[in-house]
Amino acid sequence: MSTTSDAGAPARFPREIPIQYGTALLVVVLVAAPLLPVLYQSLLDGPLYDRDVRLTLGNFVRLAHTDGFGLVLWNTFVLAALTTVVAQVFGTLAAILFGRTDIPGARVLGELFLWPLYLSALVLSFGWYTIYGPAGYVTLFWQSLFGDAPWNLYSLGGMAAIAGVSQAPLAYLYCLSSAGMTDPTLEEAARVSGAGTFTTLRRITLPLMLPAIAYSAVLNFTIGLELLSVPLIFGEPAGINVLTTFLFNVSATSPRPDHGLAATAAALMLVVICFLVWLQGRLLGNTRRFVTLGGKATRPRPFRLGGLRWPLFVGCVIYVVLTGIAPIAMLVLRAFTSFLSPMIPLADVLTLDNFTSLANEPIYARAVRNSFIVSLVGAAIATALVGLIALIVHRSEFRFRGALHYVALFPRAVPGVVAGIGFFYAFALIPGLGGIRNSIWVLVIAFTMRFIPAGLGAVAPMLLQVSPDLDRAARVQGADWWTTSRRIMAPLMRPALVACYTILFISFFKEYATAIFLFAPGSEVIGTALLQTWVQGEVGVVAALAAIQVIVIAVCVATARAIFGVKLHG
Amino acid sequence: MADLLIEGLVKRFGDVRAVDNLSLHVADGEFVTLLGPSGCGKSTTLAAVAGLDRPDEGRIIVGGKTYFDSARGIWLPPEARGCGLVFQTYALWPHMTVYDNVVFPLTLRKVSGADRKRRVAEVLALVEMEPYADRYPHQLSGGQQQRVALARTLVYQPAILLLDEPLSNLDAKLRDRARAWLAELRTRLGLTTIYVTHDQIEALSLSDRIVVMNAGRIAQVGPPQEIYERPADPFVADFIGTTNFLPARVAEVGAGSAVLELGDGQRVEVAAERPPAQGSRVTLAFRPEQMRAATAGEVSDGQGCVVETRVLSRSYVGGSWQVALDLGGGALRLETATPPAGDTARIWLPRSGGIVFQETAHVAG
Repeated sequence: MSTTSDAGAPARFPREIPIQYGTALLVVVLVAAPLLPVLYQSLLDGPLYDRDVRLTLGNFVRLAHTDGFGLVLWNTFVLAALTTVVAQVFGTLAAILFGRTDIPGARVLGELFLWPLYLSALVLSFGWYTIYGPAGYVTLFWQSLFGDAPWNLYSLGGMAAIAGVSQAPLAYLYCLSSAGMTDPTLEEAARVSGAGTFTTLRRITLPLMLPAIAYSAVLNFTIGLELLSVPLIFGEPAGINVLTTFLFNVSATSPRPDHGLAATAAALMLVVICFLVWLQGRLLGNTRRFVTLGGKATRPRPFRLGGLRWPLFVGCVIYVVLTGIAPIAMLVLRAFTSFLSPMIPLADVLTLDNFTSLANEPIYARAVRNSFIVSLVGAAIATALVGLIALIVHRSEFRFRGALHYVALFPRAVPGVVAGIGFFYAFALIPGLGGIRNSIWVLVIAFTMRFIPAGLGAVAPMLLQVSPDLDRAARVQGADWWTTSRRIMAPLMRPALVACYTILFISFFKEYATAIFLFAPGSEVIGTALLQTWVQGEVGVVAALAAIQVIVIAVCVATARAIFGVKLHG
Repeated sequence: MADLLIEGLVKRFGDVRAVDNLSLHVADGEFVTLLGPSGCGKSTTLAAVAGLDRPDEGRIIVGGKTYFDSARGIWLPPEARGCGLVFQTYALWPHMTVYDNVVFPLTLRKVSGADRKRRVAEVLALVEMEPYADRYPHQLSGGQQQRVALARTLVYQPAILLLDEPLSNLDAKLRDRARAWLAELRTRLGLTTIYVTHDQIEALSLSDRIVVMNAGRIAQVGPPQEIYERPADPFVADFIGTTNFLPARVAEVGAGSAVLELGDGQRVEVAAERPPAQGSRVTLAFRPEQMRAATAGEVSDGQGCVVETRVLSRSYVGGSWQVALDLGGGALRLETATPPAGDTARIWLPRSGGIVFQETAHVAG
């Protein structure tokens, strides 16, 4: 070997400084953009883009005196609470049955149980409407046999059932992962000391799941408060208003917007959700007591259900079919028919007319195209940003990495409707952004902000599994932070980034709550078009649009899982 | 190649001083081992030299280049130092082949293409891994991975070589071979090397000097033989080799020797260059190989003393027996071919070779 030493790398400008500060600044601007205008507007006596407005606290007084606002708050609370109960009961039961017992087909049932998670509550609502609505398939069928159907979707209970079913997968996932981490010897110890199957489940398994149940309950309650689609479709016509539909009716989406009132209600919602997200953090932090250390990768021995095995199986199949498969299948079927009724033979009504009118109407075709562009391109941009944030937060010496992490996770506390209203104000306030304001890029920006935490959730755990020695080795050998990030970390993060991209693609593709406040003629997406066509009563087109969304997401989920083995939740 | 100077190094983790005012000079081409139990600060010291962990106080200078100086606010990032570090986990990049792993540092240094190829081939030949250039790390055994990790570090001729427990992830048989190989390689390369380990055999067999560390401080610095034969305190004695400690009181003091009274009143005479004061409390330390079972009828003489001990337990360890003994409240471990028959055993302790430590200092476990 030669004896010359070229050990010392030449001193150069530390590239990480502009990259890290630039990213941090971008994230701060992105997160603050919708929030500050909302808070500012809530203190103004006129629209914030007007010239002479004065600071006032009058909006808060007005909101408190708005007729029926107390009832709105009460409805919001009841809906969120009922939703949580439904979601927790079914989610926890499913986690125990599919995760811890010898029920037949547990894997497949578990997969099917998760499906509402991939679809938007909006699409699920339409699905339920086609089956359980006043003219729904099952409703009519029931009426022809027994008389009036005992259910009514246009009620708090009906709405909670739909929302609960669509959120039960969250409770299921949290309880399942908690069950998976539990040391199986804890249960075996109970069995050995004489406890039967159900005693062990009740006294050992369920209590060990409590932290997961509590955490997912708060999470589901939060989502229940933020929910727009279900109340908009079923609550509005019945005169049942919740906070999100109240916001929808007084903000820019209404013909006569009251900006002060909207911003004030949004600020109120923000405060409540912030508290709940803080509570989630507390619950997650206090789970130490329940952390069970086993370390062994042994799969716990499933509980034997004995004679209840097949009856429970049938019950689960009925649940999965009635809540998920049937509504979605009927919705897709509805897309391919002119009319759907148990009284008319299916062959007579089969048609592609819905898709033809979808293709011929420029608005709808544009909405589908925009959805694809926003999701494909937007998710790529967002994934790059999320990857960069994750690297800075977890793998750099950036001085403000702790603060950056906090800010990047903050959008969890920003409901979609509030983000939508906020970005609307932000773009109205800042001059020179008119070009973006009426394009789909405003949606890309808003969606990116909304889903940074979801993306981080997919990337961070995998990043933390990469040994820090791997990037340290590169640093010691003379690579600076940015080279290490590109050459070593980025290739190692590829599976995480694929998962992140898939999750963001699906999230962008089904998002509507933020978009409804931001879209302009020309920048419609499937979510907004769905709501518009629904209002116009074009059920066939609604079904066709929903079918496209369902099929694209199904293909996407299946591909990601089959090819990359990616977990799309967790 | 360069020398390493560490002065007054301090690293705190909260209230704990992981490294407590450590100063050390390693000469150009010297092989120095930092030896100590986990948590003694040896890895923290190494990380400070490599630039992975910023210390709170002190100076680190390598070959005249200041890496760190708290007084002048100097802190070079790891990439600007030119150290070579071999990780305990090897840290081979799993998405790159052996060749790509080794060539990476050369690419960073913008070494020309032909030169690059030649140097990678040279260094892979040096570690006898040339045929494996196209393999991925997961296709290699632990020993092979370790050689690649070393090659990746040697290929850019680092100013100093830092080795962080490089053998600890190998199984026992492989470890012996790797150690012998490393010893041979080190004499050929003559690199200034800091080696971190908790294994005293590695330290003794590889080093020019050993730095025994305890609780963030240096307990003793010296050549292997000196450390082994003349440990400065019971901690070093205990850590460097399994040692038997006997609490005792100085009964008589002679010229170059002392008579010690053990806990049960038995007396042993030992050689001591500077005998401790009469009546003071001391600890007498022996290595297991220095003791043996006394032959029938053997008595104390000028070479050693025969003492009576109580047998606590005996266990067969394959080829020999390990016998746990109690001698006046001190525990002894004796290796012998034939276990003692009864409840008591007579053993022979040499007059010289045992070490007398002042006061019964605590022996860290």
